[in-house]
Amino acid sequence: MATIVVEQLCKRFGEVVAVDGVSFAIGRGEIFGLLGPNGAGKTTTINMLCGLLRPDGGTVTLDGRTDPTHPAVRAVLGVAPQSIALYDELTAQGNLEFFGRIAGLAGRRLKERVAACLDIAGLAQRRKDRLSTFSGGMKRRLNLAGALLHEPAILLFDEPTAGVDPQSRNLIFDTILRLKAEGRTILYTTHYMEEAQRLCDRVAILDHGKILDIDTIENLIGRHGGVSHVEAELSQVPDDLPALAARLAAEGLGLEGNTLRFQTREPARSLAALNQCELHYRALKVDTANLEDVFLNLTGRRLRD
Amino acid sequence: MAKLMALAGKDLRVLFADKGNVFWVFGFPTLFALLFGAIYAGAEKGPSGLEVAVVDEDQSELSGLYVTHLQSEAALKVLALDREPALTRVRKGQVAAAVVLRPGFGEGFSTFFDANDPKLQIASDPGRKMEAAYLEGLLAKTQFEVLTQRFRDRQWMRGQMDTWRSQIKSTGGLLAADTNVYLRLFDSLDSFLQDVNDRTYAGGLGNGMLNVARLDVQREYRGPRTPFQITFPQAILWAILSCAATFAISIVRERTTGTYQRLCVGPISQAHILAGKGLACLATCVVVIALLILLGRLIFRVPIESPLLFAAGALCTCLCFVGLMMLVSTLGKTEQSVGGAAWASLMVMAMLGGAMVPLAFMPGSMRSISHISPVKWGILAMEGGIWRHFSPAEMLLPCGLLLVLAVAFFALGVLMLRRAQL
Repeated sequence: MATIVVEQLCKRFGEVVAVDGVSFAIGRGEIFGLLGPNGAGKTTTINMLCGLLRPDGGTVTLDGRTDPTHPAVRAVLGVAPQSIALYDELTAQGNLEFFGRIAGLAGRRLKERVAACLDIAGLAQRRKDRLSTFSGGMKRRLNLAGALLHEPAILLFDEPTAGVDPQSRNLIFDTILRLKAEGRTILYTTHYMEEAQRLCDRVAILDHGKILDIDTIENLIGRHGGVSHVEAELSQVPDDLPALAARLAAEGLGLEGNTLRFQTREPARSLAALNQCELHYRALKVDTANLEDVFLNLTGRRLRD
Repeated sequence: MAKLMALAGKDLRVLFADKGNVFWVFGFPTLFALLFGAIYAGAEKGPSGLEVAVVDEDQSELSGLYVTHLQSEAALKVLALDREPALTRVRKGQVAAAVVLRPGFGEGFSTFFDANDPKLQIASDPGRKMEAAYLEGLLAKTQFEVLTQRFRDRQWMRGQMDTWRSQIKSTGGLLAADTNVYLRLFDSLDSFLQDVNDRTYAGGLGNGMLNVARLDVQREYRGPRTPFQITFPQAILWAILSCAATFAISIVRERTTGTYQRLCVGPISQAHILAGKGLACLATCVVVIALLILLGRLIFRVPIESPLLFAAGALCTCLCFVGLMMLVSTLGKTEQSVGGAAWASLMVMAMLGGAMVPLAFMPGSMRSISHISPVKWGILAMEGGIWRHFSPAEMLLPCGLLLVLAVAFFALGVLMLRRAQL
């Protein structure tokens, strides 16, 4: 059963249609990515999911309950907003304690959860320090940890790695994967395709407020990514090129000296077949399609245009 | 309730994390209040020490007596100067006015028919009209005192009867019948002055008609009274306004930093968020008032006749202005616009409500308009507990109005927040 169900969601700001008939469903324990350039409608969609905006049309169901503009419906949500939404004047612990209380925690449970979230953010040693003394990456980690305090079933992460250092990014990724393993439902928006490819089970490609396609990354690349280019430097030249092309599911297979070049729509299958051919290669270069290519092929633009 | 307390506690911690805010929330309102208290305390006694230059061009016995009377007036600081230096001081704003006793001023007291030019001239600073009017009243009072002193001198009066009889006879403009009426009057007075005993004469010429005594509208109070008792409500009101204006920008600050959105996605309503901020503001106002009361009691010996009713009045006033500021805080999009709107609205209300210029100095139309200002009702509610000795029933009107306004402002604030959000 889906934990998040979005049906025909629409939002208009004056003449601008920000979200236009968006529908998707996310199951328990799934990381679902909303991928699109700035202004595609990702944040508007998230805002409607967490009740900050009332949709002009369509419905949002969270863990079986509709209309997240009601505070009780939002109790299942943990949100890490795009901007760092914490109080610079408070300590790391003070911030988490405050948001924990707002989420309904108190007493020993509050203390335990604050300590756990400080650990998750890697900030237990700095818990007594004011936020104003933290680096951007540390703030970003705490921003995410603030969403985990009440152990919500659904987590909405709106570009949680924007502007962070590689160390913090890796810590955030590890945290998100651990949350998925715990069975949490995660909606993740980003315009970094590498993040989506690393984290998401499924991705929706969003542009101009519309979902262009939803599927696993492999399937999306297979459908819209175009061909992958393979280049292998062989120690022994094969005799029957047409038979090899058929076996590798290759297109435009050619040989130039000892170098074999071909395109394939199924790079994993082609490489497996190449290994089975007992053709020894000294070097192998694979230029596979990615989500960037998917987006380019779907919209005619690059993700960061 | 726990969430409300958490919100209020957070706001207070955030506010006081910056030590500068401690001054602006506690120190500044306290200084502001004390300053206003001192100003109003002075105003309540009247413009004491009004500096006036006096030019005696007459140099007669009576002009000298007149100047002596003026110098003994507690409300004046009299400088005896020549005409030019006196007028220069008025021009430079160093004195409120110059009083010129023209030659013949003393004779004017003993002249029955005086058709000559005025013998008393006043040059006043155009920017200090109220003080000039106050001075004119004091001059008339002094003139009457000098005249009374002369009239009490029986021999001088009898001499005057002779002088006036001669003047009547030499005046050509009167009908013969009228001349006879005056002569008979002076003869009778002269006969009276000759025969009356000193005790009867002294008693009959008292100045009881002009001897003004103040009727105190404060009901019986056993402790000491100070001018601060009267001015304290204004002082407290300014403290409340200052606190409320400081808190008004906190919502818009949360909006710009994104923490407001984070609060809104939590299991908490906009009404909760606004109420939490209001609670922090209210708590601060209460602490500031307590501080002022403490100062008032310890330093200025301000008595509060009914602490309970005063507390009720102060609380209703706080609630009203906290509600108002919560509404104002939802109207702007930047800290600057909200801060400006907060002070602008408070200043207008303070001006209309009598917290800047006392209502007594306002024209009738403005006094009618003052009913729309919560400042007026706030001051009245607190005065009710401090010195007006209101009964609980009498407190109902100002407190009720303030509470109704508080609820209305708060509800509008929540509405505006919801509208802005969704």
